[in-house]
Amino acid sequence: MESMLRIRNLKCFYGRIMAVKGISLSVKQGEIIALIGANGAGKSTLMEAVSGILRAWTGEIVFEGKSLKGMDPPAVVRNGISLVPEGRLIFPPLSVYDNLRLGAYTRLRQRAKEEVEQSMEMVTSLFPILEERFNQPAGTLSGGEQQMLAIGRSLMAKPRLLLLDEPSMGLAPLIVEKIMEVLETLRRKGLTIVLVEQNALAALEAADRGYVFETGTVVLEGKADELLSDQNVKRAYLGKDYEEFDDEQR
Amino acid sequence: MNNDDFLGYSPEDKHQLQLERLQSTLNRAFRQVSFHRQRMKAAGVEPGEIESAADVAKLPFLERADFNEHYPYELFAVPLRDIVRIHTAPGTSRNPTVSGYTAQDLSNWRHMTRRALSAASVSPSDILQIAFNPGLANWGRDFKDAAEDMGVSVIPNTWLSTDKQFMVLRDYKTTVLVTSPAFALQLAGYMHRMQVGPAALNLHTIIIAGEKISDERRKTIEEQAFVTCWLHYGLNEVPGPTIAFECKAHDGLHINEDHFLAEIIDPETTQVLPAGQAGELVLTTLTTRAFPLIRFRTGDKARIMEAPCPCGSPLARIEWFGQRTDDIMKVDGVNIHRQQVQNILEEALPVSAAQVNCRVKDDNGRNFLEIFLPMNEEFFSDEIKEIEKLLRKTEDRLREDLGVAVAIRLVEKGQSG
Repeated sequence: MESMLRIRNLKCFYGRIMAVKGISLSVKQGEIIALIGANGAGKSTLMEAVSGILRAWTGEIVFEGKSLKGMDPPAVVRNGISLVPEGRLIFPPLSVYDNLRLGAYTRLRQRAKEEVEQSMEMVTSLFPILEERFNQPAGTLSGGEQQMLAIGRSLMAKPRLLLLDEPSMGLAPLIVEKIMEVLETLRRKGLTIVLVEQNALAALEAADRGYVFETGTVVLEGKADELLSDQNVKRAYLGKDYEEFDDEQR
Repeated sequence: MNNDDFLGYSPEDKHQLQLERLQSTLNRAFRQVSFHRQRMKAAGVEPGEIESAADVAKLPFLERADFNEHYPYELFAVPLRDIVRIHTAPGTSRNPTVSGYTAQDLSNWRHMTRRALSAASVSPSDILQIAFNPGLANWGRDFKDAAEDMGVSVIPNTWLSTDKQFMVLRDYKTTVLVTSPAFALQLAGYMHRMQVGPAALNLHTIIIAGEKISDERRKTIEEQAFVTCWLHYGLNEVPGPTIAFECKAHDGLHINEDHFLAEIIDPETTQVLPAGQAGELVLTTLTTRAFPLIRFRTGDKARIMEAPCPCGSPLARIEWFGQRTDDIMKVDGVNIHRQQVQNILEEALPVSAAQVNCRVKDDNGRNFLEIFLPMNEEFFSDEIKEIEKLLRKTEDRLREDLGVAVAIRLVEKGQSG
């Protein structure tokens, strides 16, 4: 099966600083992929490049056979990729309902009103709590509910590929588990998922395959269960760099 | 075969996977192994500049002599406590070659060997007997582990006399034999001489590993032992047995391209040769954690076959010629470097290595290394008995260091045996 998302030799720049230094990775239809590694390793940068937020990159990003080079975020969304950003970035003063409707912004402009209604039903059946809170300002939701809202909002664009940046951040373990279960449900509904996580354990338990990032490069890739039992990953999971760990060893 | 998704990959996905694995291997090697880091820096290339499989040509070669120089653990890319197996093989000179494996590395070898055995139609209903020279003990372990994983009944590698091996083969109803060409030939010869019919043994498959076998000899084995032969290619120092293997087409050997990147170079100029040309096989590991090889010069002559295989496998094939492009002799699949033999002899005996000749000799199905020493005055300062003792002691030392049988013969000066 051809890859749905194929990235080759991606280099991302913030001004003159290269934050991603030549990364290749691929995602197949129906997979859950975890990108793990310490803070600043380039995981979120890669997501920004894929979603069109960061434009200063070289290399190839190809989604369903089409290059994403030069696309702005709305174009990327229209092509079937949605991002659930780090820190959720919901609109706190707006109601839950409006937050969700904003997720369908690109589709509402295409006058696909009925389809948007279907998406709204899908989201509320996935997260019944959101429907209960429809008219509440989003800022009054708990952390876990806000994360559900952020995921729900991204689903309103009817993506085929969902990118999640640190969905477990700041959440209690039980809520993290719930979020990971939701990802599995979404996969069964036909979505493909890429997950950036510092919580490597939770991410790899949910994922099929993973990539381990270190200072802008990939140092390990493989099946999630292989990575879970890998000593290097255990160290990355502990938030320690190879070098630090080796210093301790010797 | 179960879980072998890679065999269903499109060419595009295959290249993508190879690129991803190549890049992460280079990143690990660059970060973890100072030898690799320094050499890449000296060559003026960083891992980030390798943007395609063809770009590996920018990287320096790894040679057997490097193992000697960085003995024992300097080429390891993981801390020692991550290593679960340490393996020793004859080196090029003073030091043996030491390689290590993480649990994941061993799992990868099981995967590759299972794939190779499956291609030879080995199934859980088989009884598989492994008969290798002690120098290939690590291959014996890999075959055993993989076959057990598949649910095959395994008779592990044990050092038995030829007669005993035959007895086991017959009485234990072995169906698959994994062995060297010399032993397979001897078995075939024995069956022919004794007029053993096809019904006398349950054996239907011989997997030949360690050395290339000529078409003619293969035909002899297949006709006289009533079996189908399958050839496997591997490296006995690092890392294992089933780097490439034959499929049903028996036309070239499929390389495990999800674990190895193969190049063919001109051994003289070290330039990469155009597709299809014969030269020296150079391998880069794509999944190895503990002991990554980057552009390792195997010394084996091969060519990459361009046409797709009728079996439909996406794995590219090599034609393995059997000749060496370097100074290595194969004794039942064990690589023996002339330099190492000479070093040991010079230490043990009053000889100058340059005068020593050696060759691989067949002894009833087992190969051994025959060494011809020119006699000189130094030898005759002692009694004959003492000389004999010294020679036997030297043979023991060679056997221990090389892992193959050795015989030293004294010859008159100027004779070469």
